[in-house]
Amino acid sequence: MTAILELDGLTRAFGGLKAVDNVTTRVDHGELFGLIGPNGAGKTTLFNLISGFTPPSSGEVRFKGEKITGLSAHQIAHKGMSRTFQNLRVFPNMTVFDNISVGALGMLGVGPFSSLFGRSSHAKEISERSWEMLEKVGLADHADDLAANLSYGKRKYLEIARALAMKPDLLILDEPAAGMNDSETTELARFITGLNKEGLTIMLVEHDMGLVMGICERLVVLASGRKIADDVPAVVRQDPGVLAAYLGGDEE
Amino acid sequence: MSKSRLIKTGLVLAAFAVVPAVLVGFDKGYYYQIATLAAIFMLLAASLHLVTGVAGLLQLGHAAFYGVGAYVAAILGADHGVGFTVGLPLAGLSAAAIAFLVALPTMRLMSIYFAVATLAIGQMLYLVFLNWVDLTNGPNGVMLFSGINLFGIEIESDLGIYYVVAAVVAVSILVLNRLSHSYYGNALRSLREDDQCASAMGINVTVMKIQAFVISSFFAGIAGALWAYTTGYISPNDFHFSQSILILTMVVVGGLGSLPGVLIGALLLILLPEALRSVGDIRNIIVGLVMFGSILFLPKGLFGEVSALNFARRLLGANWSNDEGQKGIGWK
Amino acid sequence: MLDPYILQQLAIGLSLGMIYALMAIGFTLIFGVLNVVNFAHGEIYTIGAFAGLMVISVFGPPLLVVLFIALATGALAGFGLERLAFRPFRRFSDEASLKSRAMREATLMSSLAMSIIAREAMEMIFGSQFQSVDLAYLINKPIGIGPITIVNGDLIIFGITVVMLGGLQWLLKKSPVGLSIRAVSNNALGAKYCGINTDRTIIITFVIGSAMGALAGILVGLYYGAIFPSMGFTPGIKAFVAMVMGGLSSIPGAVISAIILGLSESLSTSFMSSVWSDMVAYAFLLLTLIFFPQGLFGARRERV
Repeated sequence: MTAILELDGLTRAFGGLKAVDNVTTRVDHGELFGLIGPNGAGKTTLFNLISGFTPPSSGEVRFKGEKITGLSAHQIAHKGMSRTFQNLRVFPNMTVFDNISVGALGMLGVGPFSSLFGRSSHAKEISERSWEMLEKVGLADHADDLAANLSYGKRKYLEIARALAMKPDLLILDEPAAGMNDSETTELARFITGLNKEGLTIMLVEHDMGLVMGICERLVVLASGRKIADDVPAVVRQDPGVLAAYLGGDEE
Repeated sequence: MSKSRLIKTGLVLAAFAVVPAVLVGFDKGYYYQIATLAAIFMLLAASLHLVTGVAGLLQLGHAAFYGVGAYVAAILGADHGVGFTVGLPLAGLSAAAIAFLVALPTMRLMSIYFAVATLAIGQMLYLVFLNWVDLTNGPNGVMLFSGINLFGIEIESDLGIYYVVAAVVAVSILVLNRLSHSYYGNALRSLREDDQCASAMGINVTVMKIQAFVISSFFAGIAGALWAYTTGYISPNDFHFSQSILILTMVVVGGLGSLPGVLIGALLLILLPEALRSVGDIRNIIVGLVMFGSILFLPKGLFGEVSALNFARRLLGANWSNDEGQKGIGWK
Repeated sequence: MLDPYILQQLAIGLSLGMIYALMAIGFTLIFGVLNVVNFAHGEIYTIGAFAGLMVISVFGPPLLVVLFIALATGALAGFGLERLAFRPFRRFSDEASLKSRAMREATLMSSLAMSIIAREAMEMIFGSQFQSVDLAYLINKPIGIGPITIVNGDLIIFGITVVMLGGLQWLLKKSPVGLSIRAVSNNALGAKYCGINTDRTIIITFVIGSAMGALAGILVGLYYGAIFPSMGFTPGIKAFVAMVMGGLSSIPGAVISAIILGLSESLSTSFMSSVWSDMVAYAFLLLTLIFFPQGLFGARRERV
């Protein structure tokens, strides 16, 4: 297996506080990888370091063998990395279809002149991709609804569909199960596993141990910004350091 | 979708064609002036719609780019004998070029800081109109006698001039409509909704914002040239800050993000004060009242797709959640 | 020894800067408490000037009384402004902080609308031309100091501004009202939970800020002898520039920036025509926004 994403001594300090402290790990092609940790462990910061939203204090990120630290978020997206947001960031005043189209057109590119004169060469592809993703997450019936009017769960899927419309090589999901009940989480787990089976590399950033333990092939556990475990779920589950970090283990 | 677009296009064209038929009935130059003014402001509002309504950038200096177009057309026409067919596009391009120059450093500013920067830029251009006497003739303004000469045909009748203006405005509005209702428009909307998220989708936010700003200013410049050619006289006060606010009010009243709404807003704010002329010159006070009323009672404007307030919220969704708690951290 | 002309310009610039400072404080106080830009601040200044003018032409009281009337009118106008253009939009505030960006932009537009309405109303009532002020009240009696000549207005403006600044500092640091203003400005929600009446504090802030703005208006009116409905627009922008340069919520920063701005504008006339002096402020604003997003004194920590 070759690595798709490598983190090398990644550190980010805010003032004196090291939110992410010397994290080194790798994600392999085709893997379903989990990043977990209790609240405040630095998961979101690490995620922002990877996707280019926050510059690291030191260390570097390599994506498909290429150094991507210092690139801006949209450049990293163009390398084939796609992300969702923890606090549901769909475009509320746009229709479901238009939301997804942004994922596709961001990657394919769209200029003022091509959309003025005749059919943009990408227009057909954008439309096809968007419909494909709509079908995939079962939102085709809602294509013309405003995103703001969707239920919470559907907006979650919309956000994932929008990320998928970018046709990424690596999809990073930030706490996708947050705010979902058990049956919704189970369904989401099935959906994510399905995507992975189709060959997509997925990194799951989660607070909820249950989902990650159930579906991930390998886990990294963060606590206070440091990596305290990096192994298959069965081993991580027994790790005394992890149990201590979660204060008595996974009650979830 | 294409059918409804056809209907809309038809309606716009019909409106432009029918208006003069009615005006001929009255047979008064004054009505032509109002109709021409209304058409020009519809174009101004439609161009601001692209940058403020669709791309979500609060632009408080739009009238200055309108002024750049007007001055370029008038000076070229009066001093260098450049006619309508060349002067019109040059006016638009000059406004776009200046917009590009000022956009480069200011596009990274967010929200009200961007708004304030555009206000400062608008005022600086206004000072140039007012004080660079050698070029602009200062407060006395520029007279332009050449009028509209279209491929060798001198267009002198009120009706003819109106049709030329209406044609240019209609084509420009169709272009703006096309831009805002296409995938390109979707990309711009995504900036308005959440620019950080848009960048994660692979959209180069800065480049897109600059494009929207430049295109919008280009059409403001075109509107300025039309104003110069039709009135034959321009002066700095035509492009004062209050005009920027007038155009912004048209966009807010009509509804952010809705082009038909914005056009109706423009008509309303031009025609209403004219209709009430007997009461006195109260255009600006009406602008103020209408603006205040629409923010308070009609946050979505007449037909808006986005509430003016919601728009602001999403526009800044970027660090919405970590506003207070992590003041020192924030992203970037 | 400095050229007397430069010295003369420095004296004029200092007065100008003091006026900008008086106005900038109002902006800064309001920004600090609500994080909103009050576009109608320039009209408060005009209202102060007109209130003074009317008192002078009707009663002709002593100067001090004129100033107090302007101050009081400003306070009243600030109260009204808060009620009309800001209070109704408080419902858009974010629950977590009682301030929000939606509210920010809504009130930016509503205060802009208010400023248009106020200015146009004054134009309808008084006409747009200059109103002349009773000569006896003008504060432009020349006083020679060595090679330069200042006017008594320079001294009056300087004195009043220093007193107001000192008073404000005392108010903010030593009085319960000041404590609540500082608390709301730091953390509005926290202040609310501590039992501070945030609505009342916000009104008080508007009242204090507007009173100082109105005072600046009448002082300038008497200094130049010209009062007209659109007189507030330019100083309003200048004061805003000073606030941004000072770092948005720092009062000392705003005052120092206002003085720098006044001095630079006045000195700029020695090498360019005075009609261009407004350009200095706009250039300062853009340069600050682009290169010093933290303000010149690094008080603000926020992405702009």
